[in-house]
Amino acid sequence: MTTESNTPAVVIDHCSKWYGNVIGINDISLAIDGGVTGILGPNGAGKSTLFKLLMGRLKPSSGSIRLFGVDPWESTSPYRRIGYVSETEKMYDWMTGHDFVSTLARLHGMTREEASSRAEHVMDFVGLADVQHKEIGKYSKGMRQRVKIAHALVHDPDLIVLDEPLHGCDPIARTSIMSVIRDLGEQGKTVLVSSHILDEIERITEQIVILHNGRLLALGNLHAIRDLLDKHPHRILIRTDHPRALASAFVNSKPVYGVRFSEEGALEILTNDLSEAHSILPEVIVKSGIKIHSIENPDDNLESLLKYLVGGDS
Amino acid sequence: MMDKQGRSLSETVWTRLDRKAGAITELTVRQLRHRISTWVVLGVGLLMILMLSALYVDAVRDGFEPIDNDGDSRDWDGDGYPLGQERKYGTSDWNPEQYPGSGSYVQDGYIGWADEIRTHSGNHTWDYVTGIFSPIWIDESYRGDRWSQILDLDSVSNCDQEEPSEFMDTWSVGWGQACEFDNGDYAFQEIRFRGEGTLTVPRSQTAGWGHMTDVFYVEEEPASNYIDEDDLDWNGNALEYQGFDDDGDCLRDGWNIGPEFDFWFDKDDNRNGRDCDVIYVLGSDGETVINIIADENVDEDPDDEKLLGESNHRGFIVAVGKIAFIMILSIFLPLFLALGLVRDETENGTLHYLLSKPIHRGEFITYRILGYLLISGSFVLLLSLIMASVTSLLGPGDSIIRFGDIVVWIGIAFATILALTAYGALFNTLGLISSRYGVYIALVIGIYEFVMAVMTLSGATLVPVLSISHWTLQLVDSIVLIVWDDTLFMDMMSTAFGYDTILGFFWSPPAHTLGTENPYVSAIISVIVLVLITTSMIFFAQSLFKRREIM
Repeated sequence: MTTESNTPAVVIDHCSKWYGNVIGINDISLAIDGGVTGILGPNGAGKSTLFKLLMGRLKPSSGSIRLFGVDPWESTSPYRRIGYVSETEKMYDWMTGHDFVSTLARLHGMTREEASSRAEHVMDFVGLADVQHKEIGKYSKGMRQRVKIAHALVHDPDLIVLDEPLHGCDPIARTSIMSVIRDLGEQGKTVLVSSHILDEIERITEQIVILHNGRLLALGNLHAIRDLLDKHPHRILIRTDHPRALASAFVNSKPVYGVRFSEEGALEILTNDLSEAHSILPEVIVKSGIKIHSIENPDDNLESLLKYLVGGDS
Repeated sequence: MMDKQGRSLSETVWTRLDRKAGAITELTVRQLRHRISTWVVLGVGLLMILMLSALYVDAVRDGFEPIDNDGDSRDWDGDGYPLGQERKYGTSDWNPEQYPGSGSYVQDGYIGWADEIRTHSGNHTWDYVTGIFSPIWIDESYRGDRWSQILDLDSVSNCDQEEPSEFMDTWSVGWGQACEFDNGDYAFQEIRFRGEGTLTVPRSQTAGWGHMTDVFYVEEEPASNYIDEDDLDWNGNALEYQGFDDDGDCLRDGWNIGPEFDFWFDKDDNRNGRDCDVIYVLGSDGETVINIIADENVDEDPDDEKLLGESNHRGFIVAVGKIAFIMILSIFLPLFLALGLVRDETENGTLHYLLSKPIHRGEFITYRILGYLLISGSFVLLLSLIMASVTSLLGPGDSIIRFGDIVVWIGIAFATILALTAYGALFNTLGLISSRYGVYIALVIGIYEFVMAVMTLSGATLVPVLSISHWTLQLVDSIVLIVWDDTLFMDMMSTAFGYDTILGFFWSPPAHTLGTENPYVSAIISVIVLVLITTSMIFFAQSLFKRREIM
């Protein structure tokens, strides 16, 4: 099964969802087809609401949603081509991972044997081949998350929706889940993955949708957005025992327009061009011969991105 | 054409549906199996059934020694012949001297209370003599006691009067007693003896004389011949005459008795113009037997095993089926197992896994209920088979296995499973309507159903119609009547004879037969009502669930 050329996997048309007086999402229009798309937004931005609307759990208050051209609230037929990883943490802990995946696979109409061999395949794909016959209750958080992904992939879907798949995972699990998601994108699937951490999304995809307070704030290539951000005032925080000495080393550097000593043992560099500043950073530090503990980008996060985008909006 | 997974299109939509059904059903079964509460509930149910089968062995079967309802198997005088056999020969069962073949007294003559001639001489067996006897010879070996009224010469005392003539005026011997005068004469009052001599009978007194028939040997019959020897006979039509004197103690054909024993016996004392039969008196509805009037000695010692034993046996099955299976198991199992079928998945959040698959929410509910039924239904079937093996092996009757019992128990299991389905669908819907208060509503409904069942048991047929239990109980009544078609008769007989049988209390003829009184009709109606309740509940739950937003 492949996506028909003229029917995008996801079409959201002026869709809004209110919970009583509270707005979940507000007038969102979007069409997504092919590749990995990051749905980015802080907690409460409307990511889960959007996904639940996509999965037919919720009915749009206004507007419409089409998956492969079909309204998911009215029909379950799109689910044949969709894999969904919900944010829920609960699983059937008494089942083995393989059991969990193959049982759910049978809901796609597979026979027991088909389901079992498919489950084996996807458990291998998410890197759980060696523990697939252990009970889920004994899995780590990252393994559980990967079983959830495996169950969503078992029927080889064209559209995969992952709600906060990296949430609560340790770094090793994150890395392996990210590479799984990237692989899926490279296979030509349409993948929607939500997160509230910019850094995570950045490592997976360049194509992002930013939600804020239920609204669609930005849509497009992450780097283009980031470039915009780079041209605006930015801070770099360097932790060192000799902040003042280091500050003098930066005074004549071009992209740096100021320094600040905001806290003990730290130097704040102010710049209008973040990438340029980062490129000269190593050289300046090495030349100065001052030992530093860490370099942080306090503004390189979703909040400051949103602040910038919202500020630019108004 | 093949799809991606290499499945051919010849595989129909139905097999796909079937696979989904199998997966959800299996998941449900496994989920229930992993819950401790499931095992607790099933364990309690099993314990209850095992205790009830022990009760059956102890109380119901143990009480079934055959009963000698008319008491004619007893040998009161200890001569080895039971009362029933002595009756046939006209001998007394109060006198060991009298027994079948012992010879009997035949009267040849007597002096009446007003006869002119008041003396008689001769060598006789004298009977019921009141008077003065001057003996030539008295048979001292002809012994008895006061109760047999045979003269015991050893216990004869001297008379208070010296002369017999004095005695005739002031008669002072007690009943069945004698005294001796100085001249060797005896004064007798209502005495039997053998001897030769002259008897003088006072006025207003009587005496008889005769001879004993020949002694012959009669084999003693065992007491068991006189237990359950005259069973109830019924041809199913109360309007015709009924009853048959199986043991012949009313017809008395071929009995070895003198006409004097037959004189007072009335072979038609129910006055219907027919000897030795039974009248069944019908109630105002023209169908129910409310009384049975039998000619004497007809159907007087029925086979207790057949009537009481059998009806108590059936009554036990019906009681356990109705109370343990329908009123307890079929209400409590779904309360524990069905209420959370969909609700718990919603609350846990695990519903998301299931609903992200191409399966309709309505289908999902159906398969969940199917899974619950698979566990609870096979459990109920198992319990019914346990009960079936106990009652079919230990029940009354000559056959080693009572196959009817097995069929009835499977019928009870069938009715219980229908109830489990209806309650399961109902309680699942309540869990969907309100995940917080559903359990309380279900408890209230459970109590309501129990009360309606009690009302149904006590014969109410109007209000309980608005309950599931009423129809399930009627289904059991119908199944019992279909398998054992003489149950209605047994029930009537017990009522008519005034027996309090378990059957009479727990079983009643199906009430809703559309006037046909055909148990098949009531069974079909019950099944239809139960299926309608179930499907409407499932449809209601489906439409509720289909429109529900799941957070």
